[in-house]
Amino acid sequence: MTADESLGSAWRMAESYAPRAGGASVRASAAILRGLPGASVVSVLGVDATAPSLESLDPAGGTPVSVAPASPLESGRLETRAVAPAVTPGFTAFLDGIQRSVVIGQLGGLVPVVHGTVGAVVRVRRERVLSTWRDGALVARALYLPLTRLDAATRAACEAGGIALVDTGEEGDPAHPHGRLASARLAIQRAREEAESKLAMAWCAAGGGPLYVDGSISGFGEAALSPLAVGVVKSHRTLYVPAPDVPLLAGLAVGSRTTAFAVDARRRARIASWYLRLRSGDGADPFSGLVRVEIAESAFSPARADDVSDWVLAERQPVALPDPRWRAMAYGIRDCEEYLRAVAD
Amino acid sequence: MADILGRVVATERRPNTPHQFHFWTALDAPVGIGTIVRVEGTDPVAGQLPQVYGVVVEGFSYSDLESPLHDVLGADGAPERAGRAATRRTEIRLYTANVLRHIPDDPLQPVALGAVYLAADADVAIALRMDAYLKEGSRTAIPVGLYRAGATASPIHLDADFLLGPEAAHLNISGVSGLATKTSAVEWLLASIFAHFPDKKGSVAALCFNVKGPDLCFLDQPATRLDASDLELYARLGVPAEPFTNVRYYAPYTARGYTLNTLRSHEALAHNVQPLTWGLREVLEYAEVLLNKDDVDAKADALIDFIRERVVDQEFRDDLLGEPRRVQSFTDLERWFSDLLKAMEAKDRESWRTHHVATIRKVRNRLTNISTRCAGLVTDDGTVSDLPWGKFEDRGVYVIDVAKQEEDAQDLIFARVITQLRERLEKRALGVDHVVVFVDELNKYAPSDGPDTYVRKMLLDVSERGRYLGLVLFAAQQFRSQVHRRVVGNAGTALFGRMDSDELATPGYATLPPATRTKLSTLDKGELMVRHPHFTQPVFVRFPRPAVLSGREGVERFPQASEPTLDEAIVRALRQLDRTVTLEWVKETIALAEEDEVLRARNRTQQARPEDVKAFFRAQLKRRVAPEVMAPRPRPAIRTGPADDPYAF
Repeated sequence: MTADESLGSAWRMAESYAPRAGGASVRASAAILRGLPGASVVSVLGVDATAPSLESLDPAGGTPVSVAPASPLESGRLETRAVAPAVTPGFTAFLDGIQRSVVIGQLGGLVPVVHGTVGAVVRVRRERVLSTWRDGALVARALYLPLTRLDAATRAACEAGGIALVDTGEEGDPAHPHGRLASARLAIQRAREEAESKLAMAWCAAGGGPLYVDGSISGFGEAALSPLAVGVVKSHRTLYVPAPDVPLLAGLAVGSRTTAFAVDARRRARIASWYLRLRSGDGADPFSGLVRVEIAESAFSPARADDVSDWVLAERQPVALPDPRWRAMAYGIRDCEEYLRAVAD
Repeated sequence: MADILGRVVATERRPNTPHQFHFWTALDAPVGIGTIVRVEGTDPVAGQLPQVYGVVVEGFSYSDLESPLHDVLGADGAPERAGRAATRRTEIRLYTANVLRHIPDDPLQPVALGAVYLAADADVAIALRMDAYLKEGSRTAIPVGLYRAGATASPIHLDADFLLGPEAAHLNISGVSGLATKTSAVEWLLASIFAHFPDKKGSVAALCFNVKGPDLCFLDQPATRLDASDLELYARLGVPAEPFTNVRYYAPYTARGYTLNTLRSHEALAHNVQPLTWGLREVLEYAEVLLNKDDVDAKADALIDFIRERVVDQEFRDDLLGEPRRVQSFTDLERWFSDLLKAMEAKDRESWRTHHVATIRKVRNRLTNISTRCAGLVTDDGTVSDLPWGKFEDRGVYVIDVAKQEEDAQDLIFARVITQLRERLEKRALGVDHVVVFVDELNKYAPSDGPDTYVRKMLLDVSERGRYLGLVLFAAQQFRSQVHRRVVGNAGTALFGRMDSDELATPGYATLPPATRTKLSTLDKGELMVRHPHFTQPVFVRFPRPAVLSGREGVERFPQASEPTLDEAIVRALRQLDRTVTLEWVKETIALAEEDEVLRARNRTQQARPEDVKAFFRAQLKRRVAPEVMAPRPRPAIRTGPADDPYAF
C-alpha cells in the first residue's frame, strides 16, 4: 500500500516534473475565478505564486505569549542536567510540513478568499544521505472561505476547475475582515498539522525508527503515543515553566537540558517534555538556540530523555544555515522544508 | 531500457538554448567533462519525439550553503567535525552540455526538459554523425580511439574522406613533449589507417621524417610493453597489435662518409636501411632552398638557371673553355667554374655571356659549398641513392632519418622529397594513391612568424592543395599557436594531448570551455581530444600504446654501432648486397685505394645493386699494379788487382 492509498484520496503525492499535483495553484485558481462569465461575487486580485504569504507577513500568526502550567516528571522543581555529547545519530527520519497562504480575492468586498498550500514530508536518512520516504510529499491546495457566501455558479466553476474548497464557516469576527483572515489561516494550519499527523502515524505504524518531528507531536493522535516520534519545538510563545524559573531557562547552558515535565493540552495527547539548549543565544532573544523536546509520556524515563537529548544535540551539524532559525533547527528539518518548497510551492 | 542519468533543468537565469543545455545528476553518476549524453524530449515536434545529443563541457557542484563561512561556523572551525556530521549536506551536481546533434534537426529548438541518458554505442555514432560513414557498403571509418564513460566504451571513428581527402584532409597533433603523445598517436593512427583504409579508395603509404632522436627508428620492431588494456583496445578497434611489416629507412651518411647518420645503425637492423644521397642534378633543382635572397639576386639567379639548363648533364661547348665539358657532379662543377674563371683572367675579360665575373665567383662560392654544408647527403661525385620513386608500396612506411642533419640538409630533404611526392602524385606515378607525410616539430618548419622560407611555403602548399592529390600532412608540434595559421587551419582533423597551460591561454583555444581547457592540461598518457569535421564538439578518446618498439627502448635493445674503420664500413655496406663479402676480402681489395675512391666505389655499388657485387666494387677502383718484389740482382765481383802489381790500388 502506498502512502497515497494509506492516507486517503484527498491527498495527492507531488512529483518533480509532473503536472502540479495536489490541487490548483495560486495562478491557476486566480485564472479560473477571473474567467467566470458575468459578474461574480469574487473579485480577483492580481496575485501569483510570488505574492507574499500571510505567514511571511506575520510569522506568529497572532498567537499570544503565555506561561502555562506543567507537571514535573523528574523532580519536584525545575533543574538542569548536562547531557553527554552524542556519539551515534539516533534519528532515522525527519518530518516537517509547510503552509503558504495567499489572499487571491475578496468575497463581497469584506471576506477574503485565501489560497492555501500545505505540504508535509518524511525524509529518511540512509548512510548520512536524506531521501524522501515512500512516494513523496503530501501536498494539498485549496481555497479557504465561508462557502455559504459563495454563489452556485462560482462554486461549480471552482469544482470543475479542480479547485478544492474548504469551508472556514462563520468563525471569527465577521465585523472585522482580519478575523476572517485569521479563520482561514487557522484552517490552513490545521490542514498542515493534519498532513504532518497522517505522515507521522504512517511512519510510526511502519515502525521505521526514531522520527525527528519539527514542532509539537501532541496533536498527532496515535503518533503522539508512539515511542518513535520525537517533537522538537523551536518557538517558545508558551513557556511550560513557572515564572520564577524563567531566568533558569534563559540561562540554560549549551548541551544541558531541564528536568522533564508533562504537557497536557485540551484535545491533545499528554506528552513528556523538557527544554534543551542547542546553541548559545544570539543576545537579542534569550530563548534563541533553545528547543523543547517532546516524547510520548509512556515512553519517558530520565535515561530516555538523556538519550533523546543526545540525538537532538547530534543534529546540530551540519548547521542549518542560511535559515535564520538555524540556532534551533536541525539540518534534516531544513532539508524537509527545502524539499517541500521545491515540490509544493 | 537504460537508466536515467539525470534531468535537464533550465531556469530564467540559466536557460537552455538550441546549442547548450544543463542537467543535474545523482552524486555518483558516471558523468564527467567529455561525457556524451542523450536527452529524450517529452513533447513531440512535427510528430517526432525530439532526441538531443550533447557532450558535457562544464560541471558545477554546490550545496545549500550561502557562504563557506557557514560551514566553518557549523564545524566550529574543525574540518574533522564537519565530516562527522550526522547528515551529509545537500549537494548538487549540475552539468552543462554542448549540443552535438538534434534529431529531428529542423526546427532547431531549445533543448527540452527531458530525461538524460548516458549515450550508448549507437547513440555515440549518431551524436558524432559517424552513422553516415559506418554504414556497410559505404564504410570509410578509421578508428581513432575509444570513448569511455561509466560502463560505456564506444569506438570513435574518423571519416577517411575527411582524413585523407578529398573532402578534407590533414591531421594536426598538439601536446607537450615527453608524454609520448604525439609520436605514439601518429604510430597508432597509421596502423589504424593501414588496417581500415577501404580498398575502394586505393592504396596508401606513409612517409615519415624522423626529426629527433630515435622516435621513429624501430617501427618494424614489436612493442614490449603492451598490457591487457592495450590489447583490449586493439581488439575493440579492430587493429592488429603488430608492428609495421613493410618499413624502409633512409639516412644520409655522416660527414666522414663511413656510416649512415642514424640511430638505427645496429647491424641486426641494417637490412632495410638505405643511404639517402643526392648529386648535383638533384640538388640544383632546389638550390633556392639553401640560398637565401641575399645570396641569390636576379643576376645570380640567371646564372644558376643557365647552369641548370645548359651546363649540367649535357655536353657544354664554349670557345673560352676550349674542349667540350660534361658537368655531372659537384667536382665537375667546381672544375668547370675554375677553368672558366682562369680563362677569363687569361683573356682579361670581366664578363662571360653577360654574366659578370663577380656574379660568377659568387655563384661558384654558394653552389660548390653546398656539398660541404650538406656533407653526407650531397655527394661530390654525383652518386645518387634515393627513395623508390614510382615504386612506393601500398601500406609501406618510408622513414627518412634527418634527426642528425644540419638545418640546411633537413630543409633540402623536406623540399625535395615533398616536391617529388607532389609531382609524382599529380602524374599518378608514385606507386600509391595516397601518401601520409608525417612531420614533427612543425613549429620549426612552418612557424607562425619568422622568414618566409621555401619549406614553409611548400608546407602551406601541401596543406592547402595536397588533399586533391592524395598528399596528406600529419604534423605535430608542442605549441600549435606557434605554427602558421593556414597550416593548422587546413588540418581537417586535430588531436590534442596534454597541453601546456600557457599554450591553452592563447587565443586559439578561446572557443573551448574552461573545464575542457583544464581537462586538456591534465590529460593522461594515451588520452586525446579529437576535433573532426563531422564532430560538432571535440571528443575525448583513449588510444592504445603503439604496437612498435619505442625509440627509447629501441636504442637500449639495439645500441648504436660503434664508429667503424673504413674497412669495416665497406664490409657492412657490401654485406647488405652480398653476404660472402668478408673483412679480409675488403682489406685486400682496397689496400691501395684512396679513401675517397673507396667510398665512391661503395656508393656506386649500393646504387647499382649489381649481381656480382665483388666484381662491380673492384671495378670502381682504379687499376693499380701491385708492387712486385724483385730479388736483388747479383752484383759483379770487383776485380781484385794482381797481387804482384805494386801499382794497383
